[in-house]
Amino acid sequence: MPRPDVIVVERLVKHYGARAAVRDVSFTVKEGEIVGLLGPNGSGKSTILRILTGYLRSSSGSVRIGGVDVTDHAARNNVGYVPEDAPLYDWMRVREFLRFMAEVKNVPGRAVDAAIASACAQLDLGHVAGVPVGKLSRGYRQRVAIAQALLNNPPILIFDEPTNALDAYQVIAIRQLIRSLAGQRTVLVASHVLTEIEKIASRIMILRDGDLLTADATNEANRAPRFRLRIVGPRQAVLASLRNVTGVVAADVQTVSPTESVADSVDTAAYLVETVSRPRIAEDMAQSIIGNGFALAELVEEKPDLERVFLDLTQRATETRAA
Amino acid sequence: MKAFVALLKKEEMALFTSPIAYVVMAAFVVIMGYTFTLTLFLTHVPTLVHLFLQIYVLFLLTVPIITMRLVAEERRLRTLEILLTSPLTEASVILAKFLASLSLIVVMLLLSYTYALTLAVLGAPDWGPIYSGYVGLFLLGAALVAIGLMTSSMVSNQIIAALLSLSVFLLLWIIDHLGWLLPDPFNAFVVNLSLLVHFRPFATGSLFFSDAGYFLSVTLLGLFISVRALARR
Repeated sequence: MPRPDVIVVERLVKHYGARAAVRDVSFTVKEGEIVGLLGPNGSGKSTILRILTGYLRSSSGSVRIGGVDVTDHAARNNVGYVPEDAPLYDWMRVREFLRFMAEVKNVPGRAVDAAIASACAQLDLGHVAGVPVGKLSRGYRQRVAIAQALLNNPPILIFDEPTNALDAYQVIAIRQLIRSLAGQRTVLVASHVLTEIEKIASRIMILRDGDLLTADATNEANRAPRFRLRIVGPRQAVLASLRNVTGVVAADVQTVSPTESVADSVDTAAYLVETVSRPRIAEDMAQSIIGNGFALAELVEEKPDLERVFLDLTQRATETRAA
Repeated sequence: MKAFVALLKKEEMALFTSPIAYVVMAAFVVIMGYTFTLTLFLTHVPTLVHLFLQIYVLFLLTVPIITMRLVAEERRLRTLEILLTSPLTEASVILAKFLASLSLIVVMLLLSYTYALTLAVLGAPDWGPIYSGYVGLFLLGAALVAIGLMTSSMVSNQIIAALLSLSVFLLLWIIDHLGWLLPDPFNAFVVNLSLLVHFRPFATGSLFFSDAGYFLSVTLLGLFISVRALARR
């Protein structure tokens, strides 16, 4: 049975004065997905998250959370939001703050203590429950911010730059925490750190200057596979035979020492071949090389490279805008 | 309702755990004590009219300090983001802040009531003007808090919020002087915007619906604009 869409964003636009922060963005998130929103600073990630949580109003377009329009306050019951840099009431003690948040989130009276205890246990906050929030380290502040998001057990969790300004240990801890929280929940995480998003999310959306460049970067990477080959033979002839294979988009010698030219060498060389996604393309390349009388020493399909997709997409977007 | 009570409790805690409330109350009590003693010894009349007019001026000066941080500080620290992404309405946030600040005004008025009790011990004051004065001060306090809340909702710098509300208060204090210079019918309209024109009858023992209506209208307008300013994100 297909999972339902719990977040549906359609043609979302947000202007700050004359500046467009989000341009015509549409995407959906299915129940139980862990989706990453990746983009450089100022690309519109936080703006989108703030619209999703009902904090900001969109200039146009629509957002539905769990089937409810986000302008309806009821939609907020479905979302636990962890804003960037954990803005909390520093003068409150952790337990006090969590109680306050549980009450404003309409957690029933009898369930408040249990909700606080459960959130504290999940985030290992028990020993700091009596400490003023302002005296906590960044890592613990972030934990408190996550704890308040969990109090009413919302089906959707939204994190804005959850590992921002944390040290390496805290980053690992928060990352594990988010993955453990996912379970039955739908999670949307925004970050400008590619490696972070890659480790947390099962699907990655890329945003640049308010444009959604792709709603699934991993799929984008899979759509353009890349092969690394080691072949013995004259390089120009090898390149020509590779380029003749249907589906090959680009083929190049991967490394050439400064003293030799591509045309001169007949030694073993490494080749990098980008192709479209097509069944049996590896076999066709091998057949073409061997058929032309060259020796194929190695043929390896490279793991989808998110960094490459990110750079390609963002560069293409920049070029399109410049044009 | 439970969410609103939690919000109100949080606002009360924020107000009464900050030194601002106590500094304002201490200054209020010291200045009131001085004024009360001086007027009583000079006039030998058991009345609080002078005290009420003094409180009127003190409210104009202290309310901006009480209200300046209400929304501006939350906007600057981004705690509004946590608050307004929970299922709370903007109106409930504003109303909780308004009632919490008004409770400080009520505490200040209760403190000043000791002077009325002192008069009762020393002589036989006319209680009518005293009660009407307190009604007037309560309505004035509510209107000033609403205006202070409104300016705090419009900016993210609390000093600017305080200066803005002080400017509005001072303008509404002296606007009747400007009103007298204008031709009919503008003079009557502008004179009727004055805080003092509507407060003075209360202080002297006269209760008019028009004066109470003025303060209630200013209060409601201030709260309405505050909610709109908070919703404009």
